[in-house]
Amino acid sequence: MKILIRKILLIVAGLICLTSFAKSAQLSDSEVKNLLVRIRENRITQADFQEQRVIHLMKKPVASSGKVWFQPPNKFRREVEGNSPSLTVSDGRQLWIYYPNFKSAERYPLGKRSPLDSTVAAINSALNLENIENTFQITAAKVDGGYELTLIPRTASMKRIFQKLDLHINDNLQAERTEMLLPNGDRIVTTYSNQTRAPVPPSTFEFSPPPGAEVAAPLGQ
Amino acid sequence: MRISEFIARTITQRSRLVWASLALLTGACLAILITSLRLDSEIFNVLPGRFSSVQGLKIYDREFEQTHELTFALLCTPQDVDKLENFAPVFAEKLRKQPWCTRVLAGSPMATPDGIRDLQSIAVPLLLNLEPSVFDETISILQAHKIQDRLHRLRQQIEGASPRSEFELSIDPLGLIAPALKPFAENTAIEQEQPLTSPDGTMRVFLAVTNQPAVSAFECQRLMRRVNEFRSTAVAGWDGGRLQVLITGRAAFVSEISLSMRYDIVATLLGSILLVSCIFFVGFQRWLPLVGMAICLLLSCLVALTLGQLLFGRLSMISVGFCAILVGLGVDFAIHLIGRYHQARSDGESHQQAIGTSIAKLGRAVFFGALTTAVGFAALVLSGAMSFSQLGVLIAIGIFIAGLFMCSILFLFIRERETPMSHDWISDLVRKYVRRAVRRPAAILICSSAVLLLLTGIGFSPIPPLRFEASTRSLQPKNIRANQALEEIMHKMPVRWEPVLAIVHAANSQELHDAWQKLAAHWKELQTARKIKSFFTPVALCPSPNWMQRNRGNLSAINFQAARQALAQTLDAEGFNPDAFGPAFALLDDLQRVADPRVPLPNWREQLSKSSSWWFLVDRYFAQDPLLTTGFVTTNQPVSTHAQSQALKRDLPVEGVPVILSGWTYTLADLLPWSHRQLLIISALMAIFDVSLLAILYRDLRLWLIQIVTLAIGIGAMIASMKLLHINLNLLNVLSFRLVLAIGVDYGIYIVLVWQKTRDVEHDVAGVIKPVLLAGLTAVSGFASLALARNPSLTGLGIACALGIFWSLVATVFFTLPAIAAAEPKAWRENKCASR
Repeated sequence: MKILIRKILLIVAGLICLTSFAKSAQLSDSEVKNLLVRIRENRITQADFQEQRVIHLMKKPVASSGKVWFQPPNKFRREVEGNSPSLTVSDGRQLWIYYPNFKSAERYPLGKRSPLDSTVAAINSALNLENIENTFQITAAKVDGGYELTLIPRTASMKRIFQKLDLHINDNLQAERTEMLLPNGDRIVTTYSNQTRAPVPPSTFEFSPPPGAEVAAPLGQ
Repeated sequence: MRISEFIARTITQRSRLVWASLALLTGACLAILITSLRLDSEIFNVLPGRFSSVQGLKIYDREFEQTHELTFALLCTPQDVDKLENFAPVFAEKLRKQPWCTRVLAGSPMATPDGIRDLQSIAVPLLLNLEPSVFDETISILQAHKIQDRLHRLRQQIEGASPRSEFELSIDPLGLIAPALKPFAENTAIEQEQPLTSPDGTMRVFLAVTNQPAVSAFECQRLMRRVNEFRSTAVAGWDGGRLQVLITGRAAFVSEISLSMRYDIVATLLGSILLVSCIFFVGFQRWLPLVGMAICLLLSCLVALTLGQLLFGRLSMISVGFCAILVGLGVDFAIHLIGRYHQARSDGESHQQAIGTSIAKLGRAVFFGALTTAVGFAALVLSGAMSFSQLGVLIAIGIFIAGLFMCSILFLFIRERETPMSHDWISDLVRKYVRRAVRRPAAILICSSAVLLLLTGIGFSPIPPLRFEASTRSLQPKNIRANQALEEIMHKMPVRWEPVLAIVHAANSQELHDAWQKLAAHWKELQTARKIKSFFTPVALCPSPNWMQRNRGNLSAINFQAARQALAQTLDAEGFNPDAFGPAFALLDDLQRVADPRVPLPNWREQLSKSSSWWFLVDRYFAQDPLLTTGFVTTNQPVSTHAQSQALKRDLPVEGVPVILSGWTYTLADLLPWSHRQLLIISALMAIFDVSLLAILYRDLRLWLIQIVTLAIGIGAMIASMKLLHINLNLLNVLSFRLVLAIGVDYGIYIVLVWQKTRDVEHDVAGVIKPVLLAGLTAVSGFASLALARNPSLTGLGIACALGIFWSLVATVFFTLPAIAAAEPKAWRENKCASR
């Protein structure tokens, strides 16, 4: 169950980079705060991504690519393309993952004391960049072409999801690359391109399983 | 020689012999009590043992692990929620290290790698225990092509970033574990209904099983001393705001209640002694008879306790509360006898003569007073509850002994040469009142009747209602830390209503398994028919030797070598890392091994780690005896009515499966008719006995009717006061009705018997009204002092008794006397000498 939750959150947490921050030759606390404010003022809403997942179950890294959309505080959509496509949509109340190849969907409730709640709440606050200083230990440094930020979760529940999240923010204050280290040693590296700040229609964050799709609720409810 | 004269002569002329006899009696009683006294702290003994639901509660309380469980909760301010989340594992680790702690549950076992590993370790026995058709379908997955298909599909889903597939491959690469654990996993849902973190995150709950060797009060106190030491240091390292450590559980309750009893005894005893002494001194201006009265009462308690111990072998802690009631009743006898003695001395009689007169004049009243009280309380035997039966018998024995001692050894404490009272203003006041009540009874009668009848009307009318808390929880001290912790936890955590327990005790594993199979199938139908909301049973963990043998036979038909080979080849072909799939190969090895009929069948109890958090779940279902189990049925609504309990009793059992339905709310609903009936029937029996006795004693219809009306309006006014003061009835203070009835009868007997025989109303009636008044006031203050107790049951009993006795006293003085004066008028001084 924990692993299941972790995997879901990996997808969600990866979105942090789209709106987030940077690291460098050690910024002071006040500089980090200023940086976060500037990033918050320039939140992106969509991007293309390429992802490499180093999973202990597989001999080789699993590669995937696709698009992501995001709307504060807690809505997002993630489309994985290629031979094994998938679609992940959260409207803030529930999270759907749909696998077109298998015509199957998984539904995970948020809120109502769902096991996902505490960590999703933490990640949503990260996506909002509100109170992020309280949720993560942040170290940042200025590097060539942007900032490098390292986020280490403060809370035990977040620590169970990932150990560390490294982000590279470009000079335009847009996330370019994230690297997430998981407690079991798995690693997920995601690079982003074509980031934009265009408004996203609300229907983007809505999902209904297609007719005939098999729907599962692994966490019940 | 008359008995009164014999007693008077023995007391005055052979006092040394009497003292020696007393010393001998005391020594014998103490010796018996010291060597054989056994107190029973079983709270369930206040409930009638013949009900199977009560038996179930006792079994659950005695045999299941929860008696050794303590609940810890950390409560922080909303600002420190994140800090609490980080501190919770630190606290749990500290808790685990305590020498008195065996196991700790700090979160769902499914949320930890150890918890998942533990589940995997019991997969093989649970797989073998599957229903045969399900087992056959499950192991068919070991066919080579099915292994290939499954792994291929999972690999594709992982590429599509499916968290579920990655989870499945991590814990169940062959797809055998999930079906094996499915029946067990269904039961973990009960954990989801009882989360360990409050919705707002400010409270974290930890369950700890202790290694407490016994559940006695002293063991609980010893354990809680160590737990409280831990509490004082447990928050070291916390850097947030205020952090409360709340602790509750059986041991915490027993420890605090037993300690608060010590306070209650001291506080109420001192309060009672102080108040009674003051009133006694005001009335008689002497201390020594007060000491004598106290010693007589103590001796009565001691002898009654000794006889009770010899009779029952083991005395309930609640029944020991008879002392308070006995003191309240015994004081009456003493005050009347001392009052009559002083009256006789005032009339010029010698010490010995005055003792004889006092006993002769009041001995009959004391005997009948003791008889009515004894029978009234002995009727508690009919309640069926061991504690109440013992209480009734102890009071019955004690009150007779108190009457005997008051009519004899009390006079050892009255000096022969006592100075007369300087100014007896109470007697003067009483004499004036009696004169007025006898000469012009109508005015007093009209006033008192108006007030008392109004109160009686309120008392017996359905509005406002008098609430009866049938729950034994109403006896639970509310101001102790363990209860405050429990209330805080219940307030913070979203709790549902308590499920009904279904206890099954089987002779062997197969019988147990079959019983739960039948019950689970039946309850599934009830759930489908929406007669129950949900249910949880231990069926998945009850091994069926028959099924396991049969399934093992089918397992031997599997080609494990081929399965192993297919797995290895598919992993390689799909790009999986073979090192990550070691558990899958190990599972194949395990299955191949148990397929050998010469190998003993695996037992999940031996394979589940002793430190596993899953034991918390297992212990909910299994007692120390693995063949004693319980299931849980959650009803659509909380069980609060007898009709609901009857419907459950009708619906839940299955023919041929002996099951005991129980649980707190279920039992209390089941007992509702009993608790009301025992109040009504036993009280009615006592009332019938009392009125019959009074009829025989008075042989006068008008006086008898006046006495009955007095008792009725006394009780009516008492109920009205309880309603108006919002005092609820509970299982203990309901006894106050019997007590008030008994005391009310006593007061009436004293006055009516004197009235029937008197020739000098001033001398005789005023002479008895003063002791009645003093006895009433001492009894009221004595019982009111119980309000100082921390235990709400004692407080409730004390207040109810004080109210009842107060109104009985008022009714006797202001209604009975003017009423009998109006009904059977007497001249103020008819024949002074004759009456003496």
